[in-house]
Amino acid sequence: MDGALIFQSLVLGVLLGGLYALLAAGLTLYFGIMRVVMIAHSAFLILAAYLAWYFHRETGIDPLFSLFITVPLFFGVGVLMQRLLVARLRPVTLTMMSVLLTFAIALTIEGLLGFAFSGTQRRIQLDYSGASLELFGARFAVVKLITFGLAVASLAALYVIMKHTRFGQSLRATIQHRDAAQLVGIKTDRVAGYGFGLGLATAAIGGTALSLDATIYPSLHWHWIGPLMAIIVVGGLGSIPGAAIAAMVLGIGQSLLQIPMGTTWAQTIFYVALFATLMLRPQGFFGGRLAQRF
Amino acid sequence: MPSVSKPSASKADASRARVSRTLVAKALAFAACATALLTFPGWAANPYILSAGIVVLSYAVLSTSWNFVGGFTGYISLGHAAFFGLGAYGTALLITRLEMPSFVAWALAGVGVALFAVPVGWAALRVRGASFVIVSIALVLIMLLVFQSWSSLTGGSNGLVVPRPFPDMLRPQHHETFFYLFVALLAVTLLAWWLIDRSRFGMGLKAIREDEDKAEALGVPTYAYKLVVYVVSAFFTALGGGMYALWFGDLDPVFQFSILIGSYMVLMALLGGVRQLYGPLLGALIVGTALEYFKLEFGDTQFHLVATGLLLAVVVLFMPDGIIPAGMKLVDRFTPERSSIREMTAAELLERDDDERPYPREKATR
Repeated sequence: MDGALIFQSLVLGVLLGGLYALLAAGLTLYFGIMRVVMIAHSAFLILAAYLAWYFHRETGIDPLFSLFITVPLFFGVGVLMQRLLVARLRPVTLTMMSVLLTFAIALTIEGLLGFAFSGTQRRIQLDYSGASLELFGARFAVVKLITFGLAVASLAALYVIMKHTRFGQSLRATIQHRDAAQLVGIKTDRVAGYGFGLGLATAAIGGTALSLDATIYPSLHWHWIGPLMAIIVVGGLGSIPGAAIAAMVLGIGQSLLQIPMGTTWAQTIFYVALFATLMLRPQGFFGGRLAQRF
Repeated sequence: MPSVSKPSASKADASRARVSRTLVAKALAFAACATALLTFPGWAANPYILSAGIVVLSYAVLSTSWNFVGGFTGYISLGHAAFFGLGAYGTALLITRLEMPSFVAWALAGVGVALFAVPVGWAALRVRGASFVIVSIALVLIMLLVFQSWSSLTGGSNGLVVPRPFPDMLRPQHHETFFYLFVALLAVTLLAWWLIDRSRFGMGLKAIREDEDKAEALGVPTYAYKLVVYVVSAFFTALGGGMYALWFGDLDPVFQFSILIGSYMVLMALLGGVRQLYGPLLGALIVGTALEYFKLEFGDTQFHLVATGLLLAVVVLFMPDGIIPAGMKLVDRFTPERSSIREMTAAELLERDDDERPYPREKATR
């Protein structure tokens, strides 16, 4: 094991962590707004990847341009999902039932993908698919850098929206205290719907980024939901910075562990971290007392 | 006052008669269902139908086992497939590696999984609601990872062949034997659920379901109760898995640790009604039959996923209490006395409760 290899893994871990952070931020958003754990997040991720692949196959244009279609589309779907489905659940059992509801959505999406595109593994071939940059003796695929760039740009956009726009302010107010937000005149139902759409839009971006350098198949989303769920629990449910930090740490950890343990066993780091968190700090490392109750 | 005691006595008689009549009706219905179930191998058209019946029964066992946690405490575990798979693999490995007799291995695997569930539950039950569900899903994904990767022990994706417990039986006979074994296991599981349902322990668990903080404030040892019922649930799920392994004879991690199996358990229990003894059984009959039908009709397409997903969404959105309570509400509509809208003023109620006299019908339903 030499220095260059470790350095390469480290950077790959950071690149992977960026994507994890973006997706975990979406999950955190849903949880903050509605106390909903969105199991279908990664199914939408794979759906976006399939749409990007389909777009590329049909038009021959770079799959990144499919973002202009999928992001508004997913935003709309998210708004509709919140208004028509999630808001219908009984408030008392909302958290549990929303898990089942979104689980049902995930199954439906997986089934429909299998129905429409069959279970065959798909991969986008681009002229820059094989290209890579060399840096300090380590090589990095260009597609991974694009993925990371997309993730960072969207996270930055999310930050600006949340902190510096009127909508972001009302969204944060809704998250903090729904009734109080309503009292000062915020239309919390509408804001919650838009927040949901925003969360789903992160899945569209993540999925398009994923389609650049991953082989996709309908049941792939189970491989994503486990790590993502572990990340938001470790970070503390409802805390976006917590989720981002946990995503980075675990992404780097996974990447480094791949050297001695191989890809499959390295995945266990997420679950080990999950159980360790529950033993030591059930509310997560950045969450408040809120997290333990949901 | 004789004029008062006489009608009230006749009322008591009437209500006793009604109780005994429903009891008789229940006993008759139970006897009819039990007879239909026990004679099923006799009138099943062919061995395929019989084997489909066994699959449905195994779902019923799993779903009822799941309902120990889901029904009593309201903690929804999507990861019970982990215990199902561990029970199946435990049984298989004890037979093939340690050359134990089949049913000894089966029982030992159940106990082993129950022991394994203690630390898992200890960690998972520290959190509530959504985090608990996340942990339960993670459990299945870990098990899948481990059993797929550790191929020197488990055979990995090539599968693991379980020796048959009755090697000289022909296939139909084998099916029939296992049908009755599954019926027996289901009966024991239902009996255990019923016993807990009526006990003080069950009362505490239901208090957790309704309001965990209040239950704790009232002195229910919530954590210990949850842990015990979690282990019991894991034990029965593992027995179901082990029995499945003995019957089916071939294990594959992708199927044994499939998140789908776990979601079937939840769907069946919710559909039937988690607060009812027979809820999961009814749900398993409906969903299990539908699944077998879909697999037969649509083969390897992903259609059963869509059907499962849509059905689960419909149940969660429109019928979260399940079929049995929904059906009972429908029946109640047609019985005039138990109208859900009580058209009486509080004063009238007070008057009735103070007075021992039976209330005139016209007034009560005005």
